[in-house]
Order: sequence, then C-alpha cells, then structure tokens
Amino acid sequence: MIPTFLGSTILIFVILQMAPGGPLERTIQQLQAGALQQGESVGSVGDIMSGGSSVLPESAMRELKRFYGFDKPVYQRYLIWLGIWPREIRHREVEFKEGLTEVQKNVGRGVYMTLKLEGDQVNVYDSDGQISPEWKASIDPEGSKENLVLATIFQTEFSGILTGNLGTSYTYDQPVTEVMAPRFKISMFFGLTGMFLSYIVCIPLGIRKALNHGSAFDFLSSVTIFVAYSIPGFALGGVLLVLFGGGSFWDVFPLGGFRSPSDVWDTLSWWGQVKDQLWHAILPIIAWSIGSFAGLTVLMKNSLLENISQDYIRTAFAKGLHEKRVIWVHAIRNSVIPIASGIGGIIGVVIAGSYLIEKVFNIDGFGKMGFQAILDRDYPITLGFLVIVVVIRLVANILSDIALATVDPRIRFK
Amino acid sequence: MPEQQEISLSILKKRWLKFKTLRRGYYSFILLIILYGLSWFLPLLINNRALVVKYNDEIYFPVISGYHAGSFFGQDVPGETIYRELKATWKAEDSDNWLIMPPYPYSPYEDITVQGNKMYEAPSKTHWLGTDNTGRDVFSRLCYAFNISISFALVLSTLNYILGVLIGGSMGYLGGKFDLIFQRIIEIWSSLPMLFVIIIISSIIRPSFFLLIFIYTIVNWIGMTYLMRAEFYREKSKDYVAAALSMGQSNFKVMFKHILPNSLVPIITYFPFSIVGGISALVGLDYLGFGMPPPTPSWGQMLDVGLQNISKYWMVMAPVGAQFITLIMVVFIGEAVREAFDPKVYSRLR
Repeated sequence: MIPTFLGSTILIFVILQMAPGGPLERTIQQLQAGALQQGESVGSVGDIMSGGSSVLPESAMRELKRFYGFDKPVYQRYLIWLGIWPREIRHREVEFKEGLTEVQKNVGRGVYMTLKLEGDQVNVYDSDGQISPEWKASIDPEGSKENLVLATIFQTEFSGILTGNLGTSYTYDQPVTEVMAPRFKISMFFGLTGMFLSYIVCIPLGIRKALNHGSAFDFLSSVTIFVAYSIPGFALGGVLLVLFGGGSFWDVFPLGGFRSPSDVWDTLSWWGQVKDQLWHAILPIIAWSIGSFAGLTVLMKNSLLENISQDYIRTAFAKGLHEKRVIWVHAIRNSVIPIASGIGGIIGVVIAGSYLIEKVFNIDGFGKMGFQAILDRDYPITLGFLVIVVVIRLVANILSDIALATVDPRIRFK
Repeated sequence: MPEQQEISLSILKKRWLKFKTLRRGYYSFILLIILYGLSWFLPLLINNRALVVKYNDEIYFPVISGYHAGSFFGQDVPGETIYRELKATWKAEDSDNWLIMPPYPYSPYEDITVQGNKMYEAPSKTHWLGTDNTGRDVFSRLCYAFNISISFALVLSTLNYILGVLIGGSMGYLGGKFDLIFQRIIEIWSSLPMLFVIIIISSIIRPSFFLLIFIYTIVNWIGMTYLMRAEFYREKSKDYVAAALSMGQSNFKVMFKHILPNSLVPIITYFPFSIVGGISALVGLDYLGFGMPPPTPSWGQMLDVGLQNISKYWMVMAPVGAQFITLIMVVFIGEAVREAFDPKVYSRLR
C-alpha cells in the first residue's frame, strides 16, 4: 500500500512537473501580456516577440522560480513536497560585491546575521559569532556573476503532505486543505447518499428479480436496467435538467447548485433548510446513483441465481427447512459476497469520479475543484486532489477486504 | 458416416446460430452494422454540397470535387455556392441547368456565416432536430458524430485488446518476475484517477483522433490485461498446453495458436461492453472539452453547448438520445452475445 502510494504520487508529480505551460510559464506570459498592454517598454518589442523572458528583470524571474519551487531538481521538489526534505522558507537575497566576503543582513525584528563567504560556501553567524542553527545560506549559481556573488539566506522546515501541509493554492490564495474541506463535504454528501440509496434499492430489487426469474416483473425491471446502463449519469442529469429544471417543460427543480445562496439560506427555518437541501439534491442524487444502479442490481440477481442452483440449497431444502429460511439465511448470505467486495470500488468512484455530474449541476464539489485546478495549473490543489483520490482508493480497497471478511466467514486475514 | 459429418457444426457456428435466435440482440446487431456502414457514406447523404450539378451542358460533382465559388455557377453570393438556393433559383427560372442535392442538404460545419442559416432554430421540417448556437444543423452533426464515436470505440477497444492479450497473456503464461513487475505497475497505474490523467495530458497537447485513442489506450489497457492474465493463467495448466509444449512448440505458438483460441469466450463477450465504455468515455471527454478538437461533431460537445442553453431542449435531448439509442443497441448485442457464448442455466428447486 505504501509503495503503491509512493509510486502513484511520483508518477503524478513527474507528469505534472514535466508538463509544459505550467504555472511559472503561465505567470510569465501573463506578466508579458500585461506589459504589452500597458505599452511599457520594459524590453524591446523584438525581445517579446522572440519569446525571450527578458521582459522580466532577472531578480523577478528568480523570485518567481523560487515561489513555484522550480529552482530545485525534480526529485528534491518531490521530497520537499512529501515533507522529508527541508523546505526553504523566509528567503532573503544577499549580494557580495567584488572583494567583499562579509555582509550583515537584517532577517527581521532587528536581528542581524553575518554572512561570510568562505571558499565555495556561505556560512551564517549570529551576533555571538556562532554559526546560526536556524539560518542557512547558499550561493545562487544562476544569479552570480564574475564580480558579484549572489546568495540567499533562509530558514528550513519539514512540511509536506506527510505533515499535513498540502501547500497554498495559487488561485484561491488559501491553504489547500481549507479550499478542499467544504467542497469535500459536499461531494461526500452526494456520494454517500447516492451510494446508500443505490444499495437499498438494488439489493432488494436484485433479490426480487432472482426469485421471480423470468416473470413479467423481471422483464420490466430488466428494461429499466438496460436503460440505466445505456445512459451515463451526467447525460441523464442533463435530460433531467431540461425536463424539470424549468427550461422548456416543467419548472419543478432548481437548475443547479448545492443549496440556495447563503443570503436566502440563512433566512430559512430549520425545516425550510431541510426542504431546500432536498429540493436541490434530488436531481443530482438520481444522476449519481444511476451509475451503480444497473451493475449492482444485475450483480445481486446473478449471484443469487447462481447460489440458488447450488447443491447446498438442495440439501437445505432436503433437510426440510422452510423456503424463507433457505433463501434469506443460506442463499442470501453467500450472494452478497460479491456485492460486499465491490463496496470499495464504488466508494472510490462515488467520491472522486463524479465531477461530470458536478459540472452538469454546477455543484461546487470536490471533483469540480480538481478539474478547475488542472485548467488553472494550480499545482498544489491538483496534487492535493490527486493524492486524496489515491488515498481514498487505497483505503476503499482495504474497506472492501474488511467487508469481504465480515460477510464471508471463510476468509480470515491473519 | 459422411452425412453425420456434415451435420456436426463447429462450436462457433453453433454459437452464431444461437445468437441469431436472440432476436433483440440479433436485430440490433444488423441495424447497427447497417447504420455504421451507411455512416461512412454520410457525405453523400447529409451534406450541403450538391451531388451532381449540370450547368451549361457540363456535369460537376461538387461532393467529390469540393469547393466551387458561387460565381462559378452564376450565383451572386460571396464564397462558396449555396446549392440549396441555387436549386430553388433554377427551378423558379425553369432553366436547363439542374442539380441533385443529398437527401438531407445540411452539412455539420455549415454555420451562420452561410446565408439563410439561423441560430437556435427549433426542430422543423427543414432542420429535423433544430440548429445549435452557431446555426449548425443538429441532426447532421449527430450523424457525423455517430460515425466518429463508433470508430473511436472500435479502434480503442481493438488496441486495448491487442495490448491486453499481449501483456496480460504474457503475465499469465510466463508468470514469475515478469508477472510480478507488471502487477506492481498495474497496481500503481490503476490507483490513479484515469480521466484526470487524460485531462492533464490533453490540456498539454491538443489531441487529434488517433492521439486521443493513443492517450486513452495508455490509461485504459488494465481491465483487459487483468482479464487475459487470469484466462492465460488458467489455461496454462491444462493438458493440451503440456501436449503442445512436449511436441516442441515455441512459447509464442503455444500462446497465440493454442491458448488464445481457447480464451475467445471472455474476449468476445466483453467486446460490446468495451465499446459501450469507449463511447461513454469519448462523450465525457468531449463534454469537458478535452476530446476531439473543434469543430469536429461530437455528442459530448453538443451536450455541453446544450446545457449552456437549457431552454433549447433539442440541443440536449438530441445528443443524449442518439447516445442512448446507440448504447442500448450495443448493450442488447452484448447481452445476446453473452447468452450465446456463455449460457448460464439456472436450475431451481422451487
């Protein structure tokens, strides 16, 4: 599990970092476009046309690179992001003019540090003349010129996903966890309700279909299942919106959103809030549950049918057990095994795989946030989102194993 | 007894005969094949260029020869000839010139820049399913998208099968380290949210038809691989494999000449559902804007535009309906194929 987690995160990280048009390039582009619009002749037009980054002063480039973490090789960035490599914070730039080997630098709150250029490296001494334990410094090879040595002084800390720090979003300007939490709750609400509903509908329906195999009821419900299988949840959502969302036919349900906007929401009574929530949630939940509806029902039906034709059922009948007991105790118990083992997969899909539906219903949920983050090249959110999805899937796998072991007495983990 | 020899049928033939008796699936199969076959001739059926034009004793075939300026046929319009109007004009003038239009004379790309086209037209006799936000005919786009969707799903499934059989087969047959390494790779790969990986890749490179298939294959080969691995693993231990090996057959021959034909049942029964997956995936990607490059007609893009104009019901209902009808036909086929190839007989005591 842990190797899988590391493997997937490395893969995600590398794909994202290798991708051209990342946040750094995008910001540079925006700045260039801004400079062009304002007619500021920071660089000559030729420079801009040739795509040179000379529009930006070098120091600003370095600042940007450092902000987005692109001043380090990929493996270091990954380790920093994990939280097992020191992250450099509170940067300050220091210049060693020609001939100078010692510079005083204010590091805030009136504390001065002395930086000494000693051979290839820069050491930081505090006011007592001791090497500072907190502050470190390094030479910036890109910024340094022949007669000028550029160094940065910084503190380090270990903060990454392993310490619960997912970074700060570029677009929301908030910690990633704060951006995620409310949206995750929304997706959980829909996902879990949808899952719960599909289980309480599908399992009895599957059982009934199996027991009445070949009947008119079986045939009619099969038609429904075929229809449900042939129409993806988000497409059904679109149809439901057209039919009931007030476009051309009936105006029964709202066009989208998780609930009424907060200025309306706050004025509602408790009962009113419940009604409002349900009113908004009915259509999305139908779209949400349709995805697993067909599969679950057919799985339940087939597995029960298979079990009913087994010898042990014959034996149970031969013992003289009542039909109800044979089916509900003997057959059903064995038939829910495949359903139980599928629970993990459904959890994973339900929580993370629903952004198409979120987009249709304009719900500001978890999936939509991840999708938007990819569009905006908001890497901290994208990475955080993908990591959480991976973790959910891994946890869901364990959950299915637990569910399987609970239902199937023959399986025990030692 | 030679007569009896003739009566005995191969297993495939038997299954085919069984498939034919399952009418829902069989008719869906025939209908889908006919529709897909027809869809390759769409330019002759649904197009805004005339099939044949007779002008000043010369015969032209604009469908094949392509662009003709309006002035070429003596029509006073900027840009290309509008054959529909030309036909009406000639008819009104009772002239010797004539032209034959395709049965449905609107092209999927012809938007409001062409004279006489309007945005958001409701379904009518001329535009069977109305027009969209840029005045393009919805029915025409629907039909062209049908061809693209099915082709996409077919090529995608075939590629997945080739990869799945090659990798999964080798994993099951060779076992050992090869199996172990690929199992780990698959484990990592399958823990990623695949649609997001596709979106990330697609947002970097604007995909074309084959590039999109390539990207999708990279992320989508796992399902088939697992199926084939289990199948080869099971077949490997059977006597006929041992017999073939003892006769000195190479591993390659054993895998593809002996085991593969014996693993056809899951391969064939799974294929229609793989098609369903392929079509749905393309619609989803197109809906998000990461599928085929515009202005390629696609159901997903039409749904996207439709949902932005929710009061124009035809713009949502048409693509969803088309997708639904196509998918349900494929599902019917899949159901019948499964019934024919892998029949399950349930016995019940009561």
